[in-house]
Amino acid sequence: MYKSTNLDLFPYPFHNIKEGSNYRYSNDLRKLEKDQTSCIHITPEYEKQIKRKRELLNEQPEVRFQSYPHTMEMQWEVAEMLINMAVESYPEHFQVEKNGNHWTFHNLTLNETESFIFGDTSSIEFEPLDLIGRHFTTDFVLMVHRDDNLYLEVAQESYAALFSPHWNKGMSFDEIHAPVPFVSRTDVPLAERVRNFLLSNVLPGEPWTRINWNLMANRWDVNYETFDTWGPTRFLVTPENAGKLVRLRVEEQFFYRMPRSNAILFVLNTQFLPMEDLELRPVWLEQTYSILSGIPKPMADYKGFTPFIEPTVEYLKNLVEKVKLQTN
Amino acid sequence: MVYNSPVLFDKSETIVEKFTVRRDRRKLMIISAEPKEADIIEQFINHINGLKEYELIEMKDELQLKNISEVLDRQKMGTQLYISAKWDDAVTIFMAAIEAGFSEDEIQTLISGEKRRYVYCIKCYHLQEVEAEETDTICYHCQISLEIGPFFSRERKGYIGYPYNPAFVTST
Ligand code: HEM
Ligand SMILES: [Zn+2]
Repeated sequence: MYKSTNLDLFPYPFHNIKEGSNYRYSNDLRKLEKDQTSCIHITPEYEKQIKRKRELLNEQPEVRFQSYPHTMEMQWEVAEMLINMAVESYPEHFQVEKNGNHWTFHNLTLNETESFIFGDTSSIEFEPLDLIGRHFTTDFVLMVHRDDNLYLEVAQESYAALFSPHWNKGMSFDEIHAPVPFVSRTDVPLAERVRNFLLSNVLPGEPWTRINWNLMANRWDVNYETFDTWGPTRFLVTPENAGKLVRLRVEEQFFYRMPRSNAILFVLNTQFLPMEDLELRPVWLEQTYSILSGIPKPMADYKGFTPFIEPTVEYLKNLVEKVKLQTN
Repeated sequence: MVYNSPVLFDKSETIVEKFTVRRDRRKLMIISAEPKEADIIEQFINHINGLKEYELIEMKDELQLKNISEVLDRQKMGTQLYISAKWDDAVTIFMAAIEAGFSEDEIQTLISGEKRRYVYCIKCYHLQEVEAEETDTICYHCQISLEIGPFFSRERKGYIGYPYNPAFVTST
């Protein structure tokens, strides 16, 4: 289990929500600034996260990585983009040597080297995205554009909540979002709208971002595969222990159009912040308390936190009061 | 076949209670694989009543079923397909039709008897058949309790089965 320790790097999910307003689903995609289009971020938790990610991939390869055999070329394209981004953003951590198709990628933090023939999958131990993805803390999903929809054809996923590459393999954008009560403030269905928005606005060289969030009770892996184990632990939360047990679980998401395959690469950076750490940012604390107090029941049921939302809100209320007393 | 090709499942949009004439099609093609439904087919043909060109193929045995692809491959664009069969035969004909390039909108399926329904255990990835009305079951393979969800996967060929611990069922 890790938590975000550098709060300046924590993707706080409610930045763009007006003070005093509530949280509802919307098309909250934002275009990334021209000079900030990389999805590769090194946090103090980098090594911890990579270690855990690789354990999960090795323990349950079928759960965590899925692909179709016809995706190799598309995967190489993604691998190339990620390597170039890493080397550009963090030359002190990543280096690459390219001699024709003979590439050597160095991960200096982990003291590892990957040598391969670019484009030749027989020269590597894993599939291209599975191999390169093991050097980055994020999850990766490749959604291929076919007949006005996006279909999940490759996914490496270790951290994202309620996400199963195995189950979602081959599904369209709409099928994937079917379990989500995906309606706007005024009950407008969002799936088709958001899908069309992605298809027409995520263009090569113009990536977009959004933030998704959830709460979880003392558990890292909240996927459907393990629902029988984490489901019951949600009932252990009380107003006394919520500060430690309950975490704000945030996914900073990135969307890139791949120029050659025309697929959309979906990248998820998952970070955790225990409720008690909100005390370090009183503005966040107050806003989170206010937003969690007004979550509609269908959304709470979908997100899975109905069993512990009451004690969590109670805990936050007490923390807000405590912080106010201290500052007065 | 590609991975996102349609499959026949109990909620398939192609399944109908009664065949309807698609006047916008060039030709109607009826595949009748269930002799018990002969009356219904006859009624439907009376209903077509010369409005459209039609072809009736009566499947009498397994061999004919195996050769169905040839018949379907021969069809030109603009053919509406009507399948009357028991579940397993309907699946064979449906798959052959998709393979031959029919879209779901070009197929109507009339099932005799029970439709089959499957649940995919998301804990151990085992697929098993369940009754039409079942909402809960036990996975034969890993013995976990499964709540049968409303979401279907063409890739996994079943409805999602969420594992749960029956000792912790609470009313929410
Ligand atoms: C194209 C790539 C995308 C993929 C692969 C994807 C995948 C997923 C998955 C697997 C889930 C969980 C579904 C479940 O419970 O089974 C989900 C939830 C959700 N997605 Fe997406 N998504 C994508 C893009 C988007 C975009 C662009 C939006 C924009 C608004 C969005 C909004 C949501 C929301 C609101 C939820 C519910 C999450 C929650 O409340 O915790 N998704 N998505
Ligand atoms: Zn099972």
